[in-house]
Amino acid sequence: MTRVLLVVVGVLVGAYGAWLLLSRQDTDGNVATLVWLGAGVLLHDFLLVPVVLVVMGLGSRLLPSAWRAPVALGVVVLGSLTLMAVPVLGRFGARPDNPTLVDRPYVAGWLVLAALVAVVVVAASLLRSRRAVPTGPGPEEQ
Amino acid sequence: MTTALKPPTPESFTSRLHSPAVAARVGVWLGVCFGLAFLTGLISHYAQNVSQPIPFPTSPSWGYRLTQGLHVITGTAAIPLLLVKLWTVYPKFFERPPRNVRRVVVEVLERINTGLLVSAGIFLLVSGTLNVAQWYPWEFSYRRTHYAVAWVAIGALVVHIAVKLPIIRDALRGHLDDSTHDNPSATRDSGVSRRGLLTTTWVAGGLAVLTTAGSTVPALRDLSIFGVRSGGGPGGIPINKSAASADVTATATSSSYSLSVVHGDNAVTLTRDDLLAMTQRTETLPIACVEGWSANGTWTGVRLRDLLDLVGAPRDRDVAIGSLQQEGAFRDSLLQGNFADDDRTLLALQLDGEPLSIDHGYPCRLIAPNRPGVLQTKWVSTIEVPA
Repeated sequence: MTRVLLVVVGVLVGAYGAWLLLSRQDTDGNVATLVWLGAGVLLHDFLLVPVVLVVMGLGSRLLPSAWRAPVALGVVVLGSLTLMAVPVLGRFGARPDNPTLVDRPYVAGWLVLAALVAVVVVAASLLRSRRAVPTGPGPEEQ
Repeated sequence: MTTALKPPTPESFTSRLHSPAVAARVGVWLGVCFGLAFLTGLISHYAQNVSQPIPFPTSPSWGYRLTQGLHVITGTAAIPLLLVKLWTVYPKFFERPPRNVRRVVVEVLERINTGLLVSAGIFLLVSGTLNVAQWYPWEFSYRRTHYAVAWVAIGALVVHIAVKLPIIRDALRGHLDDSTHDNPSATRDSGVSRRGLLTTTWVAGGLAVLTTAGSTVPALRDLSIFGVRSGGGPGGIPINKSAASADVTATATSSSYSLSVVHGDNAVTLTRDDLLAMTQRTETLPIACVEGWSANGTWTGVRLRDLLDLVGAPRDRDVAIGSLQQEGAFRDSLLQGNFADDDRTLLALQLDGEPLSIDHGYPCRLIAPNRPGVLQTKWVSTIEVPA
């Protein structure tokens, strides 16, 4: 019963949105909106995810086992933050008459973030590879 | 790798991270982010409405700063969450439709709903992120479209939750490593544990906030390497629209500038010196922009109510504020009666003890509590109360 009610509410809310979307703009605006709505999901499903899967696949073949998980998780953090920062990294909205807009050294910031992620990934990988040597007691234990 | 040319099936994805146990947990927080962004978005949309059957409150003065900051923060945090969530459920995209006709109808409807949700969700996060950075590579009206698509996304989200409710419940009650609802072929241990993926997702969401929120949370300023604003600007406040882009530099600095205050047949014309000769008040009020940045300023100028009293305008009446700006959506604004009568609402002449800079609205600008920045009209030239 709860689920049926939720479906009804959801459909009504969504239909209101669709009506708002299509009734408040001219055809050009509507076409542009539909193009952007479609492009986002297509780029995600047919470009971004396949690229991620290929990179992950390569990583699992080329990297030593102790490095795989830290590298994969590092890619999740740095990749998602890089995507998020595309508008400021490219400074696409910058205006010559407004020095207070996109006014940080973004590339330098990105390099610092990338370096931090790399340090964590390397440290975690080294820890794991040291822990993963199971052949008898290590010299420090003798 | 002979399968490379065939379209994949859900069974092609063997990692045990592709599990409802992971998807449900990320989904909960994604839902929280979308829910908060939707509610704060409704508040922002209403605050910008000309017609407000229920008056938007003037207090607390930092209310809009908080809700709009939260709007952008929750939307930003949702970016890594959405990416991880979609990756986790990606195999479902390749499921074959069932044979049973009735099941097919339900399945197709559910697929359409999921498609709408993903498409609208990505659209909101992308268009919002670009708007924050004032990058507009599209032909549609941002505010209307972002608002309408938000209703579509929330509607589709509610339907999605209704459809998935039993599996969500099961997944959340069960252990994170439970495999009851997993695809039987998703058993490969890639080295990344489910706990590790979740922790990393929270870290990425947290970093997304820390690296951007300094535009509205001063304490995070130094950490916000991707903040659209460093927070700098004349009087310690950034600028959204410059005098040059509003094409008001000449008229704003002209010696013939004057402000006209009109109520029916009563009208007064005041120069900036006339305004400076009136009782000056100082208020600390935030500029809080729809793009999510905000900053507190100490503004000095004439109380708007004092100006309205000069022409005998009654209380509780909407006031039309006009700018020297000739074109653009925000060249004028309607100030609702409760804002016009609030003692803190000023026609500001100074910021931080210095004459207003031209980019902040010289000769004078409106500054009212708890109001979206786009409605804090700059370069004010007319104040009119209809008779």
